[in-house]
Amino acid sequence: MIQATGLTKVYKTGKSEVRAVDGADLDVNPREFILILGRSGSGKSTLLGMLAGLIRPSSGTVRFKGRDIGSLPDPAISELRAREIGFVFQFSGLIPTVTVLDNVLLPTLFIPARPEARSYALDLLERMDLADRAGAYPRTLSSGEMKRVAIARALINGPSLLIADEPTGDLDAYTEYEIMDLFRQLNNEGMTIVMVTHNPDLEQYATRIFGMDRGRLVERSHVEHAGQGVMETGLLRYRMP
Amino acid sequence: MNSLFFRLIRSSLANRPYRNIATVFVFALIAATLFSTQFLMKGAEQSLDAGISRMGADILVVPEESSMAGQSIILTGQPTSFFFDNSGFESISRIPGVAKASSQVYIATLFASCCAAPVQMIAIDAKNDFTITPWLQENPGVKLGKDDIIIGSNVIQNVGKDLMFFGHNFHVVGILDRTGTGVDNSVFTRIEDAHVMAEESGTRAVRKLTIPYGMVSAVLVKVEPGSSPQVVAADIEEHVQGTKTILREGLLHAVHGQLVATLQLLYGSFLAVAIVSIPLLGTISAMVANERKEEVSIFRALGATRGFVVFLMLAETCALAIIGSIIGITTAAGVLVIYQDYITHSLNIPFVIPSGVAILADGTGALVLALGIAGIATLYPAYLTMRAEPYEVIRGGES
Repeated sequence: MIQATGLTKVYKTGKSEVRAVDGADLDVNPREFILILGRSGSGKSTLLGMLAGLIRPSSGTVRFKGRDIGSLPDPAISELRAREIGFVFQFSGLIPTVTVLDNVLLPTLFIPARPEARSYALDLLERMDLADRAGAYPRTLSSGEMKRVAIARALINGPSLLIADEPTGDLDAYTEYEIMDLFRQLNNEGMTIVMVTHNPDLEQYATRIFGMDRGRLVERSHVEHAGQGVMETGLLRYRMP
Repeated sequence: MNSLFFRLIRSSLANRPYRNIATVFVFALIAATLFSTQFLMKGAEQSLDAGISRMGADILVVPEESSMAGQSIILTGQPTSFFFDNSGFESISRIPGVAKASSQVYIATLFASCCAAPVQMIAIDAKNDFTITPWLQENPGVKLGKDDIIIGSNVIQNVGKDLMFFGHNFHVVGILDRTGTGVDNSVFTRIEDAHVMAEESGTRAVRKLTIPYGMVSAVLVKVEPGSSPQVVAADIEEHVQGTKTILREGLLHAVHGQLVATLQLLYGSFLAVAIVSIPLLGTISAMVANERKEEVSIFRALGATRGFVVFLMLAETCALAIIGSIIGITTAAGVLVIYQDYITHSLNIPFVIPSGVAILADGTGALVLALGIAGIATLYPAYLTMRAEPYEVIRGGES
């Protein structure tokens, strides 16, 4: 689904250079749950940004379903993000001035209008156990609720890849479990997930685990048990044609 | 366009009330100054057209030394009396290109019960007249007979009532439509009645009026179709010594001259506001853009194109520009309409409220300009916002 080859990102501050990501190679297959583990500042978020075309690499390429995203013009790469990639940020990334429902609907602005989008957004919120909060503003939600809204937003356009950047970093243990369980369900239904975290306890959810240290990406283990589509939640029924 | 787009704009604007009020105020000022300038210009021009059309002449021939007074009669109705030998009338009638010529006598009245100040009496040559006659034809049943007068819209009296000038009673038979020019402050009667009034004034009025026989104040000329008023006017000045011709263009020029200080002030204010507003609005937009860098980056991460983000920012500023312009234009229009008499008097210009089409055109022009400024002011902040790497903004610089 997505292949990164020799991905490097160098930041220059004055005369010194920082290699945030140093020659990372990554090949993500459909239905995989990739976990990238690393400490703060190891370069894992920069890697995610480059995979999604949100950070320009200093060198290397990213191919998404065979297309080199570095060579795509802005409208094409934006459309790819809108249709194919769902993003869950470390902080909820919700727009505070609009309601929960509008936050979920936000990515639908960037693709051709679909009349059923609103009912699907409400459906997603119901499945996230947030149906009664559709008209609420983000400031009135708990951290876990915000995160679930962000996941609903990431799923609204029926993406094939979910990218999650430390999605449980600011959550308590119980909420973390809830969110990770949700990710597991999504993966079981066939959603490809690439997630970065500094928490090694989350390894159990992944099919493949990478470690990242000072910009270098190393595969650590390959697990066969996950991603077999054993549960059916209906969360992914809204796949794009 | 998705209704969510408009909800985003509304919520974003509602979230920054003070800054947006300042922005709306700037746009209101821009639109109001431009609209006022155009409104005054069009009002003066339309008024002048109405006044000239009322007089029915292409050229007004007056004594050389009284050209300014002649202009004032049409422009502001400043009452005046002046005469020249009517023998020139025959010469004027014979000049090539002259279709019709008609003499008029101008008399500044004394104070009358109708009016706070003396008015201009215009005595017409009923036989050759083309000033009042067309109006009489449009108003069948009204006749300008012995001791009858037709009054301008600013002269306060009703049809059927009398008005006394120099001790002579005149019967009001008609009221002319408002033109905004001196015609509104004038009363029209026949030359022969004016002579009777002058003869009687020695015994009936506090001051004797003298209208010398064989003298007139002006000769109004209508040129033949296809003839140039300028050429005919030059011929008249050449062939009839001691006369000066007044043309529509000359009157317009005079009005522009009287308006020049006000227009310079308004255009100057407009330019100053426009010049100051672009960087000011740009700064406000840049501040907003800086605050919204993270929000914009989230949009980009979710699939928004650069074009969408620029469009969103433009739409927000344009919404403020539209609100500001509507407030500015309606306020300016309200002030100009309510104080039109004061403006006319203090600027000494002819003025009528411009036609609805002209007001709409001026309002649209001011609105388009405000939108243009909004666009220019938004582009640079939008560019700054676009330059940042979206994901680095979201992450706040962490790697």
